[in-house]
Amino acid sequence: MKPESPETEAGSAEGLISDPSSLKPGDRVVYPNQGVCRVTGADVQEIAGQKLELVRMVREEDGAAVLIPRAKVSSVGLRRVASRSYIEGVFHYLAAQSADPELDWKIRHRDNADRLVTGGVLGVAEVVKGLHSLSHIRPLPTKEREQYDSSRHLLVAEISASLGVPPSVAEDYVDYALMPPAGVTFKLKPPPRPVELPVRFARRKPVVKAEEELGLDDMGLELGELAELGEGAAAEEGGEKGEEAAGAEGAEGEAGAGTGEEAGQAPARAAPHAKARPAARKAAPAPKRAAPKKAARPEAKRARAAAKAAPRKAAPAKAARKAPRKPAKGGKR
Amino acid sequence: MIRIVTLAPYDAADLAWLGKTLYTAFGLGTEIAGERRPPASAELPGGRTDAEKLVQAAGAPRVVADDKILFLAAADLALPPGPLGEPPAWGFSQQGGERAVVSTRRLPARGSTEASVEAWRRRLARECIHFIGHLWELHHCYDPRCAMHPSWSPDLAPIPDAALCNFCREKSERKIRLAKT
Ligand SMILES: [Zn+2]
Ligand SMILES: [Zn+2]
Repeated sequence: MKPESPETEAGSAEGLISDPSSLKPGDRVVYPNQGVCRVTGADVQEIAGQKLELVRMVREEDGAAVLIPRAKVSSVGLRRVASRSYIEGVFHYLAAQSADPELDWKIRHRDNADRLVTGGVLGVAEVVKGLHSLSHIRPLPTKEREQYDSSRHLLVAEISASLGVPPSVAEDYVDYALMPPAGVTFKLKPPPRPVELPVRFARRKPVVKAEEELGLDDMGLELGELAELGEGAAAEEGGEKGEEAAGAEGAEGEAGAGTGEEAGQAPARAAPHAKARPAARKAAPAPKRAAPKKAARPEAKRARAAAKAAPRKAAPAKAARKAPRKPAKGGKR
Repeated sequence: MIRIVTLAPYDAADLAWLGKTLYTAFGLGTEIAGERRPPASAELPGGRTDAEKLVQAAGAPRVVADDKILFLAAADLALPPGPLGEPPAWGFSQQGGERAVVSTRRLPARGSTEASVEAWRRRLARECIHFIGHLWELHHCYDPRCAMHPSWSPDLAPIPDAALCNFCREKSERKIRLAKT
């Protein structure tokens, strides 16, 4: 097995695993949105007549078995637990003065979802800090209150793993930085640069039960989706244009995140927001977006079969998704 | 069941009041399980006490199923220093685990007037709810009126409430139900 090269792709999270063969049993990794896992080995499973190579892991906090297809290790954002020195930088970010929180809930939902998947541990800290400063303006709506809690959970688990302290102590460190006791000030260093977020992944519901069993739901990418990359780029582009023409940002999978409490804000903000986004979207040559759902679903089976034939296509497509994004809200840089 | 083990002498009426308040917060029975000697192995040079070691090493009654043990101590609890320094420790909790400690050292003086005793009891109860909350996997909360708000926060009221906010209470209820099944 080759050693994991220390350098990461420009603008990607620290420790991102680009070569699954570098993973060996005992390695501690972070599976975005899932938590700290320990690699236990490799496995081959047959699904729908196709052999699928899998990385087998155990989630540390509850011992849950986690399986990732080898070909998806990099696209799900699997990465090494952040180093001690990087985590220190995260604390300098947490303790820095907060910028104004993002008030447009659609932008906030989208950016926070992206940060949790691709932003590394700093991205998770950005979500916690951003929602924290938003909570000073008004109580968080239910969905975001839950996201605040689950992001805290992820952040605390990774700090605890990286620094080797109990989770409750890791959380004390977080809040010592975020809301220091009266009279306590810190000598802060410049925090790490936030990860440049890709144009966000399409988020869709699981297609078949087999995928659920693999733990592939909730990660934003699915087997069926890989197939669509290979199957019909033209159809997808059509889908994307249609989507943008309709200004349907909020109509993506994440639309559900717009809770009842916030629905009232939507009409006023939808229009300027829809105008602001396409430039970035169009900069990417052929970004993978959700194909129209009606077209994609009935083909799920065929798509899955094709996925096995063309799993490699995921990587270049992902690279093409990169587009400039404004820096995250949070610390002053 | 929450079993309260004291590692220093406390007034029986104060403990009874604490037991009632914890029952209200979590809907779990409480038991005052007697006084034990603080473990010498947790003592640090300079008179402080390693909070994590204390919780691991202190003697306690045998527990069953989802029982939680809360130690009450008078010690100056120490945490390992973090990247920005050592946060002040009002207690320590095995997040999602079985044991927690709360120290009365940082509480306002108990005094002997009705008001000062009441304020002391409320603050003690608040801290106990906080660290038991961690045992039920609760995280810190941004609401300064909630017991899961950090104990050192400048936003806390002078005599803070001994209760959880709706979000934290519902989460604790879910976790308690889950542990029972
Ligand atoms: Zn706490
Ligand atoms: Zn709360």
